Amino acid sequence: MNVQVIYCNHQTADLAVREQLTFPSKESLQRAYRELHHRFPRSEHVVICTCNRVELYIAQEDPSDSPTHYQLAEFFADFHQLPLEKLLEEMLEFQGADAVRHLFEVASSIDSMVLGESQIVQQIKSAYDEALQSSSLGPLTNALFQRAISVSGRVRTETKLSEGKVSIASVAVGEFGKSIFDRFDNKTVLVVGAGEMATETLVYLQGEGVREILVCNRNLDRAKRLAEQFSGQAKAWEQLPYCLASADVIVCATGAEEPVITKDLMKQVRKQTGTRPLFLLDLGAPRGVEPAVGDLDDGIFLYDIDDLEATCERNRKKRTQEIHQARSIIEEETSRFMQDIYHKATGPIVKRLRENWEEISRQELEILYRKLPELEEQERLAIEKAIYRIVNKLLHPPLETLRDEARTGTPHGMIDAIKRLFQLRD
Amino acid sequence: MALDKVTLFCFLASYTVALAVELSQFVRRSFVAQLATMLFTLAGFVAHTSYLLARSQQHDLPPLLSSTHDWVLVSAWLAVALYLGIQLWSPRLSVGIFALPLVLILVGIAPFTSRTPIPQVFQMHWWTMSHAAAYSLGIVGVLLALLVSLMYLIQHHRLKQKRSELPALHLVSLERLSQLNWWLIIVSVPLQTLGMITGLYMIHLSKSGDHPVDLMSITVGLNALVWIAMTILFGWMLADKNATGRLVAWRTILACVFLLFTLLVLKLGSADAIHGQGHAPFGHSSLRTSGGEK
Repeated sequence: MNVQVIYCNHQTADLAVREQLTFPSKESLQRAYRELHHRFPRSEHVVICTCNRVELYIAQEDPSDSPTHYQLAEFFADFHQLPLEKLLEEMLEFQGADAVRHLFEVASSIDSMVLGESQIVQQIKSAYDEALQSSSLGPLTNALFQRAISVSGRVRTETKLSEGKVSIASVAVGEFGKSIFDRFDNKTVLVVGAGEMATETLVYLQGEGVREILVCNRNLDRAKRLAEQFSGQAKAWEQLPYCLASADVIVCATGAEEPVITKDLMKQVRKQTGTRPLFLLDLGAPRGVEPAVGDLDDGIFLYDIDDLEATCERNRKKRTQEIHQARSIIEEETSRFMQDIYHKATGPIVKRLRENWEEISRQELEILYRKLPELEEQERLAIEKAIYRIVNKLLHPPLETLRDEARTGTPHGMIDAIKRLFQLRD
Repeated sequence: MALDKVTLFCFLASYTVALAVELSQFVRRSFVAQLATMLFTLAGFVAHTSYLLARSQQHDLPPLLSSTHDWVLVSAWLAVALYLGIQLWSPRLSVGIFALPLVLILVGIAPFTSRTPIPQVFQMHWWTMSHAAAYSLGIVGVLLALLVSLMYLIQHHRLKQKRSELPALHLVSLERLSQLNWWLIIVSVPLQTLGMITGLYMIHLSKSGDHPVDLMSITVGLNALVWIAMTILFGWMLADKNATGRLVAWRTILACVFLLFTLLVLKLGSADAIHGQGHAPFGHSSLRTSGGEK
């Protein structure tokens, strides 16, 4: 059994690289799963794709089926039409316990830009569901992701990671927004997009006192649902220029493949509004706002995900104690999970060995009962119990040794030896 | 401690140490350093107040009227009082890094300015009082606008460069700084205008007294120029609704620098014949002044 992950995230690659590797729509993700099935038919796959990371988890029963780093990078290069050499450098890989530990860290938000954020758990659950629907999930990835979600819960309960600023919106507003505006209750906030990120941002901004909320989305129904949730107004996509002109704070959280707020569009908008301060937060990957928008005039303050990295790093340094605590939980859970996997690999051989011996015992008992038909029911029970105990005692040393061996990895040698010694067949 | 024992050096030293401790916060931020800055400033403020009171008692005049020397020190005193007030209101704000250098400049130039009360003060006590109060408050307002504009530009630069805030340089928002700047100019310019009007009226009254003042003097001319510059800034701020905060900050800084330059020319260049002769900047004037002139 083997688990591996190939990934790039906010710590290893710039947003410019990440946005090229992302799977922005459901269609592109389904296409990716089809391609993965085609290339690696004997593997299970799960893709986690957020604004901060693109990660592909692969698992196989037989480690010899594991794709190489080159093959995995080639998949990304072919799928996104990118040069392979670049991806071989940009994408990192973990195998076995390291891959499991990595997923647990991701799920516990240790690896997130904003330490303690809760959105990542939802994103992992969505990735799991998507893989399930695409029939890419198997027993190993199923167990791995279920465990990752439970580890995340344990870390959140047993540490203080989830306290304080735990969303990208809170970091962005706290670090930059509050240095631009003194208060938000008299500001108009426009949210472009109606996904999870938009919802999370609105939750935070409403907490800051925002009352005037506009939600503009390509799908008006989704915009209406989100606007209703926050007592805001839903706007049709065609009204975007008008919405941009009336907003003081713009949060762009779309999943669009191309920027929706372009320099030309914003230039037109600024002709109407003048150079009044505008806080523009681009939370999308790929970016929803053209970077050149930030240079249009003195009043526009544009920030994307990567601009928040330094602040998040500073917050991270302040919370080393919690990180340390979370890491020890993750370490413990990783060892436990790996033991479970290895132990699972020894399961069939243990079962067959036991069944084999029990069958021999049963046959010998039948012979004995035929020879001694006068035995009472109680006597028969006593004999059966004695034989059961003997079988167990004889089985105990080899099984215990097998279990010990399985603590550090799948004991292929030991399994083969037992098969040969006791003549067990697959 | 007797009031006349307090020297200008006492509070100059206190403010200098306070600024040094404040600067050390850039290396390592600590609550102790923050508290030390406040305590040194407070100690300086007490000494500063004692010094002004001693000067006032000596001449039997309010500090504002004693001399240009006292005007400058009263301006510095007001700046310190405001700084302490802001720090008490919000200890996290990094105001000291801006306010203390201004205070040091004002206290630093005080020894080079005239300590002789203007001759007309005994004849036109209330007019002089109004003139001095309006002018001093106006100048303090303009100097504060200069600091606020500097803060604005620093904050604006950080936000445009997408840099995180330095813990030792926590400033209020651009929105608040912009409002503060606007109000400071809106209040300071009318005060300066009032000072200008009262000054002109005093010149008119002086014609019939022992010390007539010439309307065509350099002092009147330069002060009029400063007033015009400030009034242009004032009018422009009221009229131009589309100017960015950054542009307003730059224009304020330019106007304030012009005001400071003019004041320095008047006071240090011995050109102010109305408010008393200034001392030579590198002459014999020293910090040993003890409770004012004997």
